[in-house]
Amino acid sequence: MITQRFQELVTTTAFKKGIPHMRITYTPHPITDRPADLCREYVAGNDPLTDRPMLEEIYAGLTKKVSAEDGKGGFLKREPRPRLLPPDTPDHLMEYFHEQGFTDGNPIILPTEEKVAEMLKATSHEPDEWVGQMRPSPPHEAWYYTVEMVAVNAVMAGAEPEYFPVILAIASKGVTSLFSSTSSFARMVVVNGPVIKEIGMNTGIGALSPVNRANSSIGRCWTLISKNLGGSGKPGETYLASQGNQLSYNNLCFPENEDGLPAGWDPFHVQKGFDRSESVVSIFSGWSINDIAWYSPLPIHEVIRGWLEHFFSFGTRQATLILDPIVAADVASNGHPTKEAFARFLADNTGTPGWLYWSENPNALKQAEEGVEPYAGWLKKGKGAVVPVSRYKGRRRNNANFMASQDNNEPTTSIEIVVTGGGTNTFWSGGDFGYVGSASVDYWR
Amino acid sequence: MKTKSVFIPVVILAACFVTSLGWAGDEGKVVVMNPQGIKPEIRKIPMATRPTTLDGKTVYIVDTKYPNTKPFVNELLAALKAKYPKTTWVLREKFAGYMDDDPNLWKEIKEKGAGAIVLPGH
Repeated sequence: MITQRFQELVTTTAFKKGIPHMRITYTPHPITDRPADLCREYVAGNDPLTDRPMLEEIYAGLTKKVSAEDGKGGFLKREPRPRLLPPDTPDHLMEYFHEQGFTDGNPIILPTEEKVAEMLKATSHEPDEWVGQMRPSPPHEAWYYTVEMVAVNAVMAGAEPEYFPVILAIASKGVTSLFSSTSSFARMVVVNGPVIKEIGMNTGIGALSPVNRANSSIGRCWTLISKNLGGSGKPGETYLASQGNQLSYNNLCFPENEDGLPAGWDPFHVQKGFDRSESVVSIFSGWSINDIAWYSPLPIHEVIRGWLEHFFSFGTRQATLILDPIVAADVASNGHPTKEAFARFLADNTGTPGWLYWSENPNALKQAEEGVEPYAGWLKKGKGAVVPVSRYKGRRRNNANFMASQDNNEPTTSIEIVVTGGGTNTFWSGGDFGYVGSASVDYWR
Repeated sequence: MKTKSVFIPVVILAACFVTSLGWAGDEGKVVVMNPQGIKPEIRKIPMATRPTTLDGKTVYIVDTKYPNTKPFVNELLAALKAKYPKTTWVLREKFAGYMDDDPNLWKEIKEKGAGAIVLPGH
């Protein structure tokens, strides 16, 4: 049984799982948070899609004779995948690409064999070498892809050939940028190492804005890869994000401003075990970013601490700070000699808003009401008072990175710190992004 | 002569332009590469033979524990019991989260059940 909103999802998934005629009964949507009286009406009523009594349909699904064809094994037929598409005019092909969902809705560069061949010159890897597999979310099937297939999408995104090893590194992680969940995920990719300057990525003013070709097209390419090589992004079938996420157009693709790091603060890839001389991409997953443009008499590290304490979103147990270089310098000069030390300070000195803590921990609330310490003492200060339990200590399994392969080098807190920007003001960003993993760019040169 | 000398560079220029676009030939069409990856083959799972009646049989109702859907689960169970009293309806919660597999439960259903209803989320 499933709610009617997911008809397309469940029928296509049943096909891909090898049961094309799975028997399905639908309920009105949604059923979550609905009172018993209403649920009783639903059950006594009809399947909203077939208009037949729901209980009778369930019974029929369990007893109706299975056809000879549905009782057989074997393989289901899939459309063949031609390497080249049928010839057509550029205008028609552009429309065809849009209609097929091959684009992000914006015009693309048509991937002729000549342009793809130029892209392929930027890597020593063979065109038919496997790069990886990708799926919209764990229940979905994975699609597979080669170096050449990634090059096709790189051309479409408007990437220059010298960006290609960076794009291959992102593709090699097998993480879709369009994760299929009814919550509206976003992804982020941070570039580190010499490749930043080699390909002219922007680490300065507007590093997070659409003002640099490399930042823009590499980030866009991840979206096209996710759609075309990872089978993601088809609304209702392989993409269920209720509102969607604007960050997915570019997937927050930016390089760290390594020259702007305070003394003692390592580049992000070095924190994750890579050599400083290596070029690396690092993948993050989350939902949202806050831009904090605010003057305060407090030192910036205290403002960040206060923001973290009260920050709330779906990914409430993890955070990534994107600090401007002059913010990082202020923080470092206030007694935080490394990124790790600052993250530890934040984890050790942030509590949880009372409304959030007590709603997430009903057993603790029960014990508090029964006078059990330390809960009773916390509750005595009021249900809205901050509870001295950090949300950011240690690694937690969370929705942001589940089933996306987690690399080693686990952080001791769930707070990550990256530095970028042009130093025009003491502003910074932060959001609910968690680290997923990194990949070498140099491997793909 | 003059016409010919102008014509030849024009043809060469047009040929270069056409080549750079991957022009297919005389119809002004372009050949482009397929941007999609490779989909896996799908192995069919044969559907189980159905009993003609559920009287005297056991049917499992598998609660996938999607948040705040318990009222629906309870109402469904009550309604099935009332409408089909000769069937034994067994409500079981699936292991862990709704995305986690539960092979032990599937094994139990195969051994003891005549069928199963796997419940929705959202």
